[in-house]
Amino acid sequence: MTIRARLTLWYAVILFVSVLVITGLSYREFDHDRTMDEHFRGRYGEYDAWEDLAEITLSLGLPAALIGLAGGWWLMRKAMSPVSALTDAAARVHEGNLREQLPRSGNGDELDRLTAVFNAMTARLDSSFNRIREFTLHASHELKTPLTVLRGELETALRDQAHDPAERERLLSQLDEIERLTVIVDGLSLLTKADAGLITLKQEPVRLDELVRESHADALILARPRAVRVELERCEEISVRGDRHRLRQLLLNLTDNAIKYNRPDGTVTMSLCRVNGHAELKIANTGAGIPAELQPRVFDRFFRADPSHGDAVEGCGLGLSIAQWIAGAHGGTIELISEPEKLTTATVRLPAGESAAAPVVQRRNNSAAESANRIPAVVS
Amino acid sequence: MRVLVVEDERKTATFIRKALLAESFAVDVSHNGAEALTLATKTPFDAIVLDIMLPGQDGLSVLRQLREQKDATPILLLSARGQVDERVEGLNAGADDYLPKPFALAELIARVRSLGRRRTSEAKPAQLRVADLTLDTNTRQAHRGGNSFELTTREYRLLEFLMHSAGRICSRMMILEQVWEYHFDPGTNLVDVYIKRLREKIDDGFEAKLLHTVRGTGYVLKEP
Repeated sequence: MTIRARLTLWYAVILFVSVLVITGLSYREFDHDRTMDEHFRGRYGEYDAWEDLAEITLSLGLPAALIGLAGGWWLMRKAMSPVSALTDAAARVHEGNLREQLPRSGNGDELDRLTAVFNAMTARLDSSFNRIREFTLHASHELKTPLTVLRGELETALRDQAHDPAERERLLSQLDEIERLTVIVDGLSLLTKADAGLITLKQEPVRLDELVRESHADALILARPRAVRVELERCEEISVRGDRHRLRQLLLNLTDNAIKYNRPDGTVTMSLCRVNGHAELKIANTGAGIPAELQPRVFDRFFRADPSHGDAVEGCGLGLSIAQWIAGAHGGTIELISEPEKLTTATVRLPAGESAAAPVVQRRNNSAAESANRIPAVVS
Repeated sequence: MRVLVVEDERKTATFIRKALLAESFAVDVSHNGAEALTLATKTPFDAIVLDIMLPGQDGLSVLRQLREQKDATPILLLSARGQVDERVEGLNAGADDYLPKPFALAELIARVRSLGRRRTSEAKPAQLRVADLTLDTNTRQAHRGGNSFELTTREYRLLEFLMHSAGRICSRMMILEQVWEYHFDPGTNLVDVYIKRLREKIDDGFEAKLLHTVRGTGYVLKEP
């Protein structure tokens, strides 16, 4: 029951009780008067005060009570409407729009103060989020300089042939770790920049089916050492608007995951079709999958379904987060549905372009022309 | 070949200098933009390694000023920010190449070398040859010891790139850029797996191996 309904109900009870009390008191008064003035009876005959009172109560008290009730309902609505507005506004708040402030009435009443407190709270949240973002951005940037020095000096040491094989092996293993760290720092820096809206994506017609065929060919090779089959089930001709390189990165991340987390002799199935004006890309694998309770978290940064085998499968733990960002930045969505031990399917939906064969942008060395037609990235 | 290294971080400047010296380049080092600009206008360099983050005048503005002065010295930009946008910005401003930090030394050397070569532009030969391995760039046919190999498009481009840079180490990143056109690290072992496939085709069954792994850096195709 809403506060409004509850308060109106209480109001009605109070109104009813007061009508009863007034009626009772009035009756007593009349009764008292009557006994005081016995001589009236002779003049006016038998007089029943109770009947009169009941009539007056019914004809005046009841409509007054009803009007009172309706008024109360209306008053409650008026009093609660800023609260409803506050509730709606609070429901709209998310990480991305913390800078939005609710309009204040400015009359200094309780609700105005509540709005002010609410605004102050979102402002504090906003600044905390910003601080975290800036921190990660700076951290990933600041880490690169020491990493560069570390790597450079390690390689310089390796170039000196004087080291014995054991020493060399030690240095090489350190180099491997530096490379791993570099991949993590790069991924983190990419995502933080995307969060802050600092990355611009190109917007050009891209033949998605060509990219899918290409990544199918790559997947065949990647899957070979693990004896995983890769099938391209369907590949309809679809073009989308977007950034060719990022879309390839998205495809590579998903196919690579589907192979890495598959069981040996498993199957990866890829398909691309047009569904309701969207390009729907599905990449399914027959691996162990992800338990239902963990599925909402698969796109979280550094999420691992099974931390115990963290090292058995290489990867920086940012691949799916990056894939999610790329899909979102193209106005699309990505989801991952897993039936453990059966089928785990990643589905990407992107707004499809016109179905007529769009001009194919064939580029070999497109570095210099890349700045043309750039759109600001939308952070998912 | 004379190279100017512009890098404010002393340790980084030192190991770059050391590595380039070891490859018998002549190396000059500058720690700030303004000084680099004077040096570059006074001395003809064959290539400039230019860090973007510099105190005072930053690398990009040094680059723009040089290009405004019609100075066409090949420039390799270095950056710790390392994003596609910055790469594009640098290349648009007239840089010849871009290398994000942290980088492999061999990669830096390979890129500086190719910058120097860029001046004397070499035509692509119709046939590439390394030892007894040949690649016809017109028919896209590879032969070794009387055998011919079927190559997929990707394998062909990989082999072409490796043979073109025969004897020089090609980093995974250079391979990704040249063969896949990826300007980011995809975080997969795509290159390694393709190399393995290629190795099965061109090296398996032959006494002398041509395709070698340089651990932590990349691959090299060279005469045995």
